[in-house]
Amino acid sequence: MMFGWTGKLLRVNLTDGTIAKEALNIEDARKYLGGRGLGTKMIMDEVDPKVDPFSPENKLIFMTGPLTGTLASSGGRYEVVSKAPLTGTIGASNSGGHFGPELKYAGYDGIIFEGESDKPVYLYINDDEVELRSAEHLWGKTVFDTTDELLKETAEDARVACIGPGGELKVLFATVMNDKNRAAGRSGLGAVMGSKKLKAVVARGTKSIKAAKPEEFLESCTDARRKLKEHPVTGTGLPTYGTEILVNILNQSGALPTRNWRDGGYFEHAEETSGEALVDKYLVKNKGCFGCNMGCGRVTRIPDGKFKGFGEGPEYEAGWSYGADCGVSDLAAICKANFICNELGIDPITMGSTIACAMELYEKGLIKREEIGGSLNFGDADAIVELTRKTGLREGFGNKLAEGSYRLAESYGHPELSMSVKKQEMPAYDGRGVQGMGLEYATSNRGGCHVRGYLTSPEILGIPAKLDPLVTEDKAGWLKTFQDLTAVVDSVGICLFTTFGIGLKEISDMLRGATGMDLSDEDVLKAGERIWNLERLFNLKAGFTKKDDTLPERLLKEPLPNGPGKGKVVELDTMLKEYYEVRGWDEAGVPTGEKKKELAL
Amino acid sequence: MIIKFFALIRDYTGSKEISVEGCHTLRELLNKLCSRYGKSFSEKLFAGDRLSEDIIILVNGRHIEHLKGLDTGLEENDEISIFPRIAGG
Repeated sequence: MMFGWTGKLLRVNLTDGTIAKEALNIEDARKYLGGRGLGTKMIMDEVDPKVDPFSPENKLIFMTGPLTGTLASSGGRYEVVSKAPLTGTIGASNSGGHFGPELKYAGYDGIIFEGESDKPVYLYINDDEVELRSAEHLWGKTVFDTTDELLKETAEDARVACIGPGGELKVLFATVMNDKNRAAGRSGLGAVMGSKKLKAVVARGTKSIKAAKPEEFLESCTDARRKLKEHPVTGTGLPTYGTEILVNILNQSGALPTRNWRDGGYFEHAEETSGEALVDKYLVKNKGCFGCNMGCGRVTRIPDGKFKGFGEGPEYEAGWSYGADCGVSDLAAICKANFICNELGIDPITMGSTIACAMELYEKGLIKREEIGGSLNFGDADAIVELTRKTGLREGFGNKLAEGSYRLAESYGHPELSMSVKKQEMPAYDGRGVQGMGLEYATSNRGGCHVRGYLTSPEILGIPAKLDPLVTEDKAGWLKTFQDLTAVVDSVGICLFTTFGIGLKEISDMLRGATGMDLSDEDVLKAGERIWNLERLFNLKAGFTKKDDTLPERLLKEPLPNGPGKGKVVELDTMLKEYYEVRGWDEAGVPTGEKKKELAL
Repeated sequence: MIIKFFALIRDYTGSKEISVEGCHTLRELLNKLCSRYGKSFSEKLFAGDRLSEDIIILVNGRHIEHLKGLDTGLEENDEISIFPRIAGG
């Protein structure tokens, strides 16, 4: 009997339609925890890192963590893992909502999808009954319509994870959406799902999850929840304003990348696109995921006008990509574009950033009007909405945008105008003004990712301590800690935002109480380091090298034109050298034999 | 100098931005603002004599932790931003 984990996995072969139940490997669970860690281990064991992400040999894994679906604070998360089409790296994307817990209640820690169906299908899990059903009648439908129909034909209290037209059409940054508006958003894992003709996974579960030490576990959960309630960020700030609250502080700090990062870190219309403005104008109410007291989600309505609509979001990075990055000040347009992303199932961060890249290419005369079907200047609110729709449906110029900013810019002979790393677009924090974020972007295992080494927290927000964003000292050490701890959080199944209010001890207490495993706090953090190194090893085998741990020329050679960081570039060489050292890697950025032994890799 | 207020600080001040003259240090400025906006604002900003941990202040975009804290000198064209402790990601 396992505690925390259910101990069971589903393996679904989409080529021949077979479904098998298998036992979770306890040793792997102990070493890799669950979620992102366990999913990555399975991909590493079963998939050739050089595989074409759209080939039947690639696998797609949905994996919960031992705390998913329990009383743990904000314990609603799960991970989707595969080889990512946008980047070619290991791709792991985290999502909230209610789907993950429902999968656990049905009795499964995760699902491994193999092969490829010849016709559209969906998987229906109803406790012990698991079957593949035809999804031909759903193919082409939006995320919202698909979800509604599936709930009618399965069970009203089931939970749905699905792709929209974006995934079906293999937009390289297509998302896996669950509960309509929650996203496993980055790197295009929805396109892998589409390539396998897997339209959806529906889960309904009536079982329970057992904790190994119920009293200890309850105490640790209560303690964590109390701390989160009392903390100003998790108790007040996030519930009231959502993540868009970051717009103004990044702007005031001179680190809000503006107009494809061309115009420095200050956007003159930031206030109009801020979290405060969203609350004043369009917020209906806040919304939480499973087991969460924070409720940082935004339910948003644009009541009238050409951008009329209803949905959820935008989150900070999505709002930034359509706002400051595209030079757009119209918050209604930004919201509408975000609604369309959720509806069609594509990543708004990459989408907005790709449009911004196209805007710069257009203003430089490199893309012609006729190709786009109109003009495309920075600030064009209509364009961000229309091009999002066209991209999700791969229509007209949208077909080119669907490849992401790197391939777009490369096709016009200027790949340096894509603000991406390893072909994934960097969000919303200018590394020239927040040096540690520059290092995170260069080293993150899935390319331009802000969230896995979120040094914005100490550098701008002062949590857990205040670092100077303009210096490079100590950033490498701090980044390693953040990256390792985030890997833990992504693997145990709770929300990353809890770490504004609780830390390794509280997370480890909940993990020990739930699973009964005798893992010290250090063992838990070590698991995070192990997961990070495993991802690195996958990428090295996939063909990535030290030269890919870099940044766009703009960040390395064009000094910030304004703000407190005026005159600065990202001092990457200094930080990267130190980073490899603290990671225990050699000068080429390869984990040494000694490090691998230490981590039992 | 321009003083900008953000997030729930605006609930205490009733405005997003004001202009102030004649303050040479941040401490002087904050005392002036406390006189203007009253007890609840003052209790939000200060924990005893010290700035509350739940407040972030930037002077021309620089966090005062990297300047001179409450003793940071101010000039007439400075821009001071006051935030409650916030986060996201």
